[in-house]
Amino acid sequence: MSDDSDRNSRVSRRTFIATTGTVGIAGLAGCGGQSGGGGSGGESGGDSGATATDSGMDGEGSQSGSSSDGQNASLLTAEGSSTVYPISNTGSSYWNSNAPPSDGEYWGSNSESTVPGWEQLGEPDMLIADYFASKFGFEPTEQRSSPPFPTTVGLSHSGTGCEAVTDGLVDIGNSSGPITAELDWSEEQAQSTVVDNVVGRDGQPVVVSSDVIDAGITELTGEQVRAIYQDEITNWNQIDGVDYDQEIYAIGRAEGSGTDTAFRLNMLGDANASMSGVDTRFGQNQQVAQAVSQNEGAIAYMALAFTSESVVPVGIDFDGTLYEPDRDAEHTIFDSDYPLNRDLHMYTLIEEDNPNGGGYDAREAAFINMFLNEFGQTIFVEGNNYIPLPTSDLRSMKEQVSALATEDLIMP
Amino acid sequence: MEPVTRSERLTAAAGKQVQRVRDFVTDTDPAALVVVTVIAVSLLAAFVGFLAVSNLTILPFAVFLAATGYGWVRHQEETALVLTLTMTVSTLLILGLIIVFIFRESVPVLQYESATVFGVSVPGLRMFVQSNWDAVSEPIRYSMVPMIHGTVMVTVVATAVAGPLGVAAALFLSEIAPDIVREFVKPGVEILAGIPSIVYGFIGFTILSPWASDQFRTTGQGSYLFVGIVVGLMALPTVVSVAEDALSSVPESMKSGSLAVGTTDWQTMTSITLPAAFSGVSAAVLLGVGRAIGETMAATVMLRGVPRLTDPLVNVFYGQETLTSLIARNYGEADGFQMDALFVAGVILFVTVLVISIGAQYIEWRMRSKLGGGA
Repeated sequence: MSDDSDRNSRVSRRTFIATTGTVGIAGLAGCGGQSGGGGSGGESGGDSGATATDSGMDGEGSQSGSSSDGQNASLLTAEGSSTVYPISNTGSSYWNSNAPPSDGEYWGSNSESTVPGWEQLGEPDMLIADYFASKFGFEPTEQRSSPPFPTTVGLSHSGTGCEAVTDGLVDIGNSSGPITAELDWSEEQAQSTVVDNVVGRDGQPVVVSSDVIDAGITELTGEQVRAIYQDEITNWNQIDGVDYDQEIYAIGRAEGSGTDTAFRLNMLGDANASMSGVDTRFGQNQQVAQAVSQNEGAIAYMALAFTSESVVPVGIDFDGTLYEPDRDAEHTIFDSDYPLNRDLHMYTLIEEDNPNGGGYDAREAAFINMFLNEFGQTIFVEGNNYIPLPTSDLRSMKEQVSALATEDLIMP
Repeated sequence: MEPVTRSERLTAAAGKQVQRVRDFVTDTDPAALVVVTVIAVSLLAAFVGFLAVSNLTILPFAVFLAATGYGWVRHQEETALVLTLTMTVSTLLILGLIIVFIFRESVPVLQYESATVFGVSVPGLRMFVQSNWDAVSEPIRYSMVPMIHGTVMVTVVATAVAGPLGVAAALFLSEIAPDIVREFVKPGVEILAGIPSIVYGFIGFTILSPWASDQFRTTGQGSYLFVGIVVGLMALPTVVSVAEDALSSVPESMKSGSLAVGTTDWQTMTSITLPAAFSGVSAAVLLGVGRAIGETMAATVMLRGVPRLTDPLVNVFYGQETLTSLIARNYGEADGFQMDALFVAGVILFVTVLVISIGAQYIEWRMRSKLGGGA
């Protein structure tokens, strides 16, 4: 080695770096060849070559992919709603980085931190995209920043996303409203054209301060919430069966904001309903959480991620159905038919050239599957202040994608 | 002597100006004159281009820069003259454009909020004769009354805090404190003015407001009283600093004269120093009031953000909304009339500050003419 550097001192530094770089790549290719050899035999040389040079992502990469299992490794595209975008795009960023299990912050575990849901996934010794893609028959690349297939997410509107996926322009159409409403379709047309993958929910659970919970109020009826926000109930003891003499401090959101409008529409019955009972308004979830925690008798609605011991979600009884804050209950505040929630969809097109003419190709199924477990729900859904799916919904979504899985998926 | 009429005086003044320009033209080297003209014309063209949102604006502006560069090297005197003139003009122009803009933006909602008096429809009147603000549910009303009330409440409390405290501190620093104390305390007070308002607001939101809500048994947090106190504390450094300057610029001879006839220090302070520095001290308090009216961040985070009057009107234990916090809280979500209503709040603030600064100037002018050139 010292011999080498003596000789190279006469050559320019650039040549030196280029030379050693080539040597390094050659070495990597060798390693890749060996490890790949364990997996799929003779074709693995081409596979690892594509990885090492990084150039054959679409060409050579997909060829080698197709040689293993008929897999298409081209770019996975998604587009649509700005509401779904944070979930979809964070997922895409995680996917494309293909972080190793030693990372700890984005994937896997190390001495400093562990990603949520890591144990439930069985602590796989694989890179993030490698792991989720391998469930659907893709070859692991075993290299960070180089996923088995790359993904990208565009930003437009719900309707545009639905249209783009129907026309085959993108693989996944993100929408915050059902496609039946966005494109004015009938239920049958929707079911025969696209698969509806719900990855999370957007909603505003009703929360109260801890002293209200201590006074025994763990559920309210929709009618009571409406009466509180319309100044018909101003003290907690005006609610039947409650003996807690405390003025109600009703917290609302910025006047005319999306959250405000959604609450008026779903809780008070009309987007222009009066909110004469509101005592204060805040623009941000953090402010709401802070105000609820430091005042007595407070009630508010805000993103689930900001709840805590002093900011507690309550169950709401709508027309005799009690939606509980417990994730495993029969009806939960995480449900789709809880009136303050709406589903966040990632639509995929039912195509003839998909396996079995189904609703997914392997890339779509692999990518969407990443969101359907505790890891995905915590990082991508809750991490963006949305409501994670309750266990039962998670299971039914998982069953949809499992049709294409080459390995058994871990059920929630 | 003939009495000179107003128009004659104006004509004379205009004639004088024309004469000055004519003198400038005759006295100046023609080459310099050309450069100066190019600078002025190109800047004017750039301004017109800017107003017309033209892509070609860059051309006259480049000509302006080039001409200025050339002029600075070759005819520095004339170029500097024109440059300083254009800078002054553009300051006034920018102010004018801002005023025109905020007034223009507020026109639609003023028309919406018209009210009829004696058969005459007065635009915007309804914003001031009823007190209901509701941007979402019927009837949609954009009354400014609750915000004006809030601003007045906060300002009154803030002035009650900052005025006496500030003037007392200024008196102590300027008349009583030993030099060494003053050397340390005065810069300290000025540093206090540099604390960002959000810091005060944050302390107010997390500590003062919940505490006040507990103590006064109010429903939830947010009161004009504590916003006023916090804003008063924020205005305090301004008041102390300006009032101290005014007090210490009272000539030593006046104080000595008073002491010589046998008054005590306190009598000198109250009957000589304070009256002599009255214009400066009131300017200090008015500056503090201005700061209190304009204070946004602390008010926004501490107030409730629901525009309505408190009951009764003098109830300072509930704090709803001020003109500034209305704008700060709603600009992100507002559209249509609601957005225009925010501009109306801006217009009201603008007019108020204008009145206050004219008032301050007037007090100063009165004092000067009365005391014959005091501080």
